[in-house]
Amino acid sequence: MADQAHRRAPTNQTEENPSANNHAYEELRHLIIAPEQEELAGIQERLDDRARRTQDVSSVVAEAISMRRDQHGERALAQALAPTVQETLRESVRRDPHPLADALFPVMGPAIRKSISEALRGMLESFNEALEHSLSARGIKWRIEALRTGKPFAEIVLMHSLLFRVEQVFLIHRHTGLVLSHVVARQVATQDASMVAGMLSAIQQFVHDSFDSKDQESLDSLNVGELEVWIEEGPGAVLAAVIRGHAPSDYRLTMKETLEEIQQRYSSALENFRGDAAPFLSAEELLTRLLAAQHREPAATKKPRAALATIAILGILVLAYFGYSLYLMYEWSRFLHAVRGQPGITVISYDREGGRYHIQGFRDPLAADPNILLTQAGLDPKNAQFDLAPYYSLDDSIVAQRARQLLHPPDGVTLSENHGELQVEGTASPQWISRVQERAPYIAGVASVDTSHLQNSHLLQLNAPKSAVESVILVFPIGRAGLEPGQENTVAQTQKGIRDIVDKANRLGEQTTVELTGHSDSTGIEGTNMLLSQERADNIRDILIRGGVQPTTLHTRGVGTTQPLRPEDTEENRRLNRSVTFRITFTPTASGN
Amino acid sequence: MLQKKICMLGSFSVGKTSLVRRFVESIFSDAYQTSIGVKVDKKVVRVNNEDVTLVLWDIHGEDVYQKIHMSYLRGMSGYLLVIDGTRRQTLEDALALNQRVTQEVAKVPAILVLNKSDLVDEWEIDSARESELAAAGWTILRTSAKTGASVEQVFSQLAAATLAE
Repeated sequence: MADQAHRRAPTNQTEENPSANNHAYEELRHLIIAPEQEELAGIQERLDDRARRTQDVSSVVAEAISMRRDQHGERALAQALAPTVQETLRESVRRDPHPLADALFPVMGPAIRKSISEALRGMLESFNEALEHSLSARGIKWRIEALRTGKPFAEIVLMHSLLFRVEQVFLIHRHTGLVLSHVVARQVATQDASMVAGMLSAIQQFVHDSFDSKDQESLDSLNVGELEVWIEEGPGAVLAAVIRGHAPSDYRLTMKETLEEIQQRYSSALENFRGDAAPFLSAEELLTRLLAAQHREPAATKKPRAALATIAILGILVLAYFGYSLYLMYEWSRFLHAVRGQPGITVISYDREGGRYHIQGFRDPLAADPNILLTQAGLDPKNAQFDLAPYYSLDDSIVAQRARQLLHPPDGVTLSENHGELQVEGTASPQWISRVQERAPYIAGVASVDTSHLQNSHLLQLNAPKSAVESVILVFPIGRAGLEPGQENTVAQTQKGIRDIVDKANRLGEQTTVELTGHSDSTGIEGTNMLLSQERADNIRDILIRGGVQPTTLHTRGVGTTQPLRPEDTEENRRLNRSVTFRITFTPTASGN
Repeated sequence: MLQKKICMLGSFSVGKTSLVRRFVESIFSDAYQTSIGVKVDKKVVRVNNEDVTLVLWDIHGEDVYQKIHMSYLRGMSGYLLVIDGTRRQTLEDALALNQRVTQEVAKVPAILVLNKSDLVDEWEIDSARESELAAAGWTILRTSAKTGASVEQVFSQLAAATLAE
């Protein structure tokens, strides 16, 4: 623009002053302005020429960047360049990842190696500690704790073995080895921080130089007796933690993160550090957090109580266990006793194997089911195994049961067994009675049958006339075998009653037997009394025969004074003892059904 | 408080360690010097009404067995070049070392300390040589670890020089 203006100016002048003087003026002007004009034209040309402009800028670009950085700090420049650099890297990787990979290889190799070896070391440490502590007294205590809390044993071991205390933390300026900040846990005696920091740096440099380690690798821990010094190195600062005991490996991560934060927050202060640590006063808080966060003192006061509680609980558990075992044993012995007393079951042996009872012996098929007995005793049938061979039991109740099963007694009949004798009582049909008599002796365990208390149901109708006859007492005067007078009616009724009974019984297939028993009172001689009583009975038999009773039905016997009807304390009772009484029995006739 | 890293350089047995022993705080054993080649001590001096902590890196004298770890010098604000006034060779060695330091590490304030000034009879460095060195820009101080002469001055003067930087 400026150049155009210069050019236009002389043209305008020539138009305005076309005189001859113009030429001289033009010449003068040319002499004065021409070199400048040429220069301007040259500049114009350079500005217009893209290739030359590029050449010009290229010669100063590095210096310009450097100057810019010095003037305003790295940040502005870095911010301006970051997107381009990122894009460039992306593009480079897209086109061919190899050059960048090759460039990064020396950095990544050691970094990966270091992180893997650290992870492995941490794992080995934990494993070693777990092994070391598993059998010691402390280990047993921890096992109890694991039981109490329900946590895995390994976790308890880790929790305890990782008890540690970070006693001091140093923030050291990496370049000078001067201490920037230093925090100390309570009640920890310390040495002069500036000297310790200096010596730490010296040792670190010594190790670095002596073992020819690569740039990325440096000393990261020192062991001094019970103390460990963990060192984390950043580009501008070094963080060193003095630890008593064993810190967990993730404490290293906490250190790393803290250092990163410090690096970020104090990057320019670290760079411009000239010995004045004042800007780092605020870092103390970060360091203190490192001290406090991992400060795990054992809670000593709580432990005895916890241990006592543990012991008490364990004691109760043990007692409860033994108590329950004893109770089970008692229940079992009670059960076994009951089983042994059970009719139809014979226990030969029993033993206990793995909490299960094994019972061997014999059992009658009619005996109680042992599993039901178990359930009734409140025991688990799963815990017992019965191995019982079948057999015929001669137990009274089992024999009675067997007899009931085989004989099917009708209602009103009871069967009972008494040492081999089957006792049958009640009223039944003559058919069933004869079956009992026929079959009962074949039943296992039955040696004899007592049916004396078994009544033929058909004879029930004869009970009343039978009782009437059996209640009759015919009396005699002292020393005489002839009836007292006035008993003719009684004799006639008795005669008739016996005849009727015999007739009816005959029809029912029963043969009747009437036993006449003669008695005497105690006066007179016993030998005479016997004869007298026999004579009295015989007399009455003759009277009955004469009255139409079959002689075969009648049997007599004299018992004298041996079976008195009454105690002879009154005259009336003595009179009743001079008598004849009747007893009627029935037996099935041979031809009866 | 300001801190400055100061190194003490010089040949074997020029009296560096004796020089500091009586005048500085020390917690580390001398064994460090022979094992790792350096021992760190501390000296607080007052400059312009301000306390300055000098963290002294007492570097083991170079000999056939041990080379100086130049990395120990990194980040120092100044150094003392100590020579034994009764052994001229120690001056030449120190100057050679100084050359390496200025080339490889940094150009920072330094003081040339002519130690063992109490042994006047055995003195090997003539005043001409001393003037020559002063002309070359050296601040030269004569000290005696034995009598304590000028020892405090060496430290405060170096501290002042580093503060002026």
